[in-house]
Amino acid sequence: MTDVQTTLTEEPTLTGPAPQEAIHHRPTWADRTRSVLKHILLIVASLVMIYPLLWMLASSLRPTELIFRTPGLWVNDLYVQNYTEGWYALSYPFGQYIINSFIVVVGAIAGNLFACTLAAYAFARLKFRLRGLWFSIMLLTIMLPFHVVIVPQYIIFNQLGFVNTFVPLILPKFLATDAFFVFLMVQFIRGIPRELDEAARIDGCGHWKIFSRVMLPLMGPAIATTAIFTFIWTWSDFFSPLIYLTEPYAYTVPVALKSFLSATEGSNWGPMFAMSVVTLIPLFLVFLFGQRFLVRGIATTGGK
Amino acid sequence: MSAISELSTVHRVKAKTPEEKRLRAKEAARDNTAGYLFLLPWLIGLVLIVAGPLIASLYLSFTNYNLLQAPQWIGLENYARMLDDPRLLQSLKVTFIYVIVGVPLQLIVALAIAMLLNEGMKGLAFYRSVFYLPSMLGASVAIVLIWRQMFESDGLVNQVLRLFGIPATTSWIADPKYALWTIVLLHIWTFGSPMVIFLAGLRQIPGMYYEAASVDGASHWAQFRKITLPLLSPIIFFNLVLQIINAFQAFTQAFVISNGTGGPADSTLFYTLYLYERGFGQFQMGYAAAMAWLLVVIIAAFTAINFFFSKYWVFYGD
Amino acid sequence: MAINRRQFLIGAGGLAAAATTMGLGACAPGAPSGSQGGGEQGGATTLALAWWGNPTRNKNTEAEIQAFQQANPNITLAGQPGDFASYWDKLATQTAGGQAPDIIQMDMAYISEYGNRGALLDLEKNGADTSKFIEGTVESGKINGQLVGVNAGINSAVIVANPKIFEKAKMDVPDDKTWTWDQLSEVAAEVASKAGVPFGVVYLFGGDPMFGAYLRQNGKELFTEKDVGFEPADAQAWFDLMMKFQKAGGIGTPQQISEEGSPGGGKPIDQSAIVLGKAALQYQNSNQLEALNAASGESLKLLRAPSLAGKATERKAWYKASMLWSASAKTENPEAAVAWINWFANTKEAVDIDKAERGIPPNAELEEYIRPKLSPAQQEVAKFIADIKPELANTPIAPPPGGGKLAEIMFRYETEVLFGRATTAEAAEKFVGEVKSNLTV
Repeated sequence: MTDVQTTLTEEPTLTGPAPQEAIHHRPTWADRTRSVLKHILLIVASLVMIYPLLWMLASSLRPTELIFRTPGLWVNDLYVQNYTEGWYALSYPFGQYIINSFIVVVGAIAGNLFACTLAAYAFARLKFRLRGLWFSIMLLTIMLPFHVVIVPQYIIFNQLGFVNTFVPLILPKFLATDAFFVFLMVQFIRGIPRELDEAARIDGCGHWKIFSRVMLPLMGPAIATTAIFTFIWTWSDFFSPLIYLTEPYAYTVPVALKSFLSATEGSNWGPMFAMSVVTLIPLFLVFLFGQRFLVRGIATTGGK
Repeated sequence: MSAISELSTVHRVKAKTPEEKRLRAKEAARDNTAGYLFLLPWLIGLVLIVAGPLIASLYLSFTNYNLLQAPQWIGLENYARMLDDPRLLQSLKVTFIYVIVGVPLQLIVALAIAMLLNEGMKGLAFYRSVFYLPSMLGASVAIVLIWRQMFESDGLVNQVLRLFGIPATTSWIADPKYALWTIVLLHIWTFGSPMVIFLAGLRQIPGMYYEAASVDGASHWAQFRKITLPLLSPIIFFNLVLQIINAFQAFTQAFVISNGTGGPADSTLFYTLYLYERGFGQFQMGYAAAMAWLLVVIIAAFTAINFFFSKYWVFYGD
Repeated sequence: MAINRRQFLIGAGGLAAAATTMGLGACAPGAPSGSQGGGEQGGATTLALAWWGNPTRNKNTEAEIQAFQQANPNITLAGQPGDFASYWDKLATQTAGGQAPDIIQMDMAYISEYGNRGALLDLEKNGADTSKFIEGTVESGKINGQLVGVNAGINSAVIVANPKIFEKAKMDVPDDKTWTWDQLSEVAAEVASKAGVPFGVVYLFGGDPMFGAYLRQNGKELFTEKDVGFEPADAQAWFDLMMKFQKAGGIGTPQQISEEGSPGGGKPIDQSAIVLGKAALQYQNSNQLEALNAASGESLKLLRAPSLAGKATERKAWYKASMLWSASAKTENPEAAVAWINWFANTKEAVDIDKAERGIPPNAELEEYIRPKLSPAQQEVAKFIADIKPELANTPIAPPPGGGKLAEIMFRYETEVLFGRATTAEAAEKFVGEVKSNLTV
């Protein structure tokens, strides 16, 4: 560890791409077999990972009464009615719920990116009184199980008159209540060599400038991670929308999906799986494109 | 918690001349103001949204509160009742097994896959997305249905075992001996979130270190130990702390797989599952609140230990 | 400066906590409600109406709301549909926050939790009309002598048979008017082995209605008004009976039983054993026949629960409320809430839409009126409900507060017994102890 420390005290130039991409040499036979083996391994592993999705896809194309009586993934006749039926089976066309979810998700991402970066910069880089105490309190807030907080929280939002609006789902994000992301960003910032902002400070930059000009660009991967996770977790969050949104026009996707199911009265499995597939597409796309930012991150923003 | 405050203190180079001291003092005052300004949204959130319910839940833990009538103060009775509640003990046992086995295994898998997927190769974006997929589906109905089916007596797992000549007929999901392990496995299988965080962390390691090490002829293993591990340590630490916190609060997957019962025979009765059953199922929110604060103490202890030992292995750039 | 800020913050945090705590108190019965959804403006009222169900019921209920509003132009109903499991979390939270829906679809497992704590409106006092109800269908909704829930549909605990499996085993579907528990055990074992299916009968021991039937035939009840209505010895007899069934081969292996789970706490109805052709007989509620037929593609038969004496007339049957209509004690417009309940229970318009989806209508005239319009499966259920009338005994009371989890606890101890982790005596002792300790009366 010591040798790394000495390396780090030198002025680092954050320009190098990942080493494996940088080193060019003629591939040997050993390299090729290694690469082929790796891909085979990854493809087999991918199948294990993707199996439930394939099953869901297959189920979305089968009539409800055949879903649990047909083993395997092969679908003989594509029963696409599930998709049209599912879209119109609930009180509102399913697009309404997708739009609702999008509104909540976009608000949540904006909130988390705004508030968590600010709080994280303070915790990671600024020395202020009672910092340790505040930091401990922040961690404490994520240790308390959600189920005992929800009732008092509901009472607060109810008294503020925000029940059956998106406010209880979005406002907390603008107030950095997702301590997970604050802590995540703190760890990322603390991994960034202090020399960088120290240099800006010597140049006379204030904290706002250091934060916005130096830190934010360096935090690319952390910001991308936060955005992706916020998207996915908010998109699939069930309990909060369930409690706060009372009328069907305001339901988000997970609450709407639940309306297809009834353990005792019989469920519309086919349409439910069809709509699950539909609502999974944005998630998958967001990740597929979002993860590019994880790849670029520092390599593009640190310098050219 | 003092360990935490000590650790998050920034270590500065000591000031030497009086001039420098004066500058430092001015800077410190400026830092203090700026610190609170940057923290403002979080502080407002704490006061408006977080602190009230937090304190209320602590208050409720000393009351008899059935959600439908006003709470009645009963002092320490809830805490006393917890001492001889066999199901509480069972739920602690289940949760500890899950945390101690599930978290390290999941993190090792996540780190290994993240490193594999950090290299430049064809189809990288696709692989990453596919490996994240199970976590994206989370505890959706499809995952849970398929998971149950896979581990039933005629499920996929046994069919594969039979292909290898093992006459497996055990219903892994239905036998109290094995049911918890299927949920541990499900936890490991949804390694996507720590993997993504590891990936992001790996991207922050400047490539030049590896180049220099390669020139010096360091092996892959040496590079991993000397460069990757120390530079990734803040992120490993983050994942460890947060995954432990999350695992202690594991709820959704266990809830949906056992239909909220924690069955078979309480073998998957996770702590928060039991807490939820008490609070919402049996309308004993006071007892649930007391349980919640016991959990807070346990998690806080684990977190404090984590922070204490972090100074021996976590390396910060600041 | 920081200290001032801190003092301010701590003070403000305390205020927020105090506000929350006051909020907790505000939900006490009789306390004035805040901005309840049902505000009255110029004679027109908006009421919130919450129910659980699947898309079929949701469509029905929305149509019913439309029809009701046409008949009562000064009342608007805002529907809050949900699914059964999460419905109760939401209702509890809303009630705790003093914001319970005005009209609440209620279940027997929860009615006394809410009713005993003053959260539900006394419907009789507010003009609920159950005068045309069939005998024995009103009592389920009474808590402490107050009518807090109006039966929304009659149900009965039944054993559903798959005739195809019996055909395969070359056996006749047994005569349910004379069969005893022991005969059921023999039939189950025989049909399972002859037809090559895992289960002769499934769910028989996991649900409380069958245990209730067994207890009643032994002169006991699940619950008395404030206590458990049976002794550990009765529970042990029930567990012993289960082991007898199991050893005979009629209910599958312990792992298979555990895999199926208990009714309600196990697999969704459309993945249950009888639907997938894995069981010859299955305990169920009568109003689930249509869903079972649809999912299995068979036409299943309804059978009575067995009796000790071998006489159906001595089996102490009862009419169960599949669900009830309740109103929040804090509704600002009790008349309007009761107007919906009366409309639903006593008008042809309502029953024309609902048919028997929520169970057979308890209103005798409407039951007669709607029967020809029902689907074949529902007609069969209606006939069954009418046929068992001579076999009825008193209607059991709703479980006292804290008693709603009896079936779940029972199945847990049964699982312990099945896997050899406890003797029937130990399990029975603990089972009764746990149910008792959960009661909060």
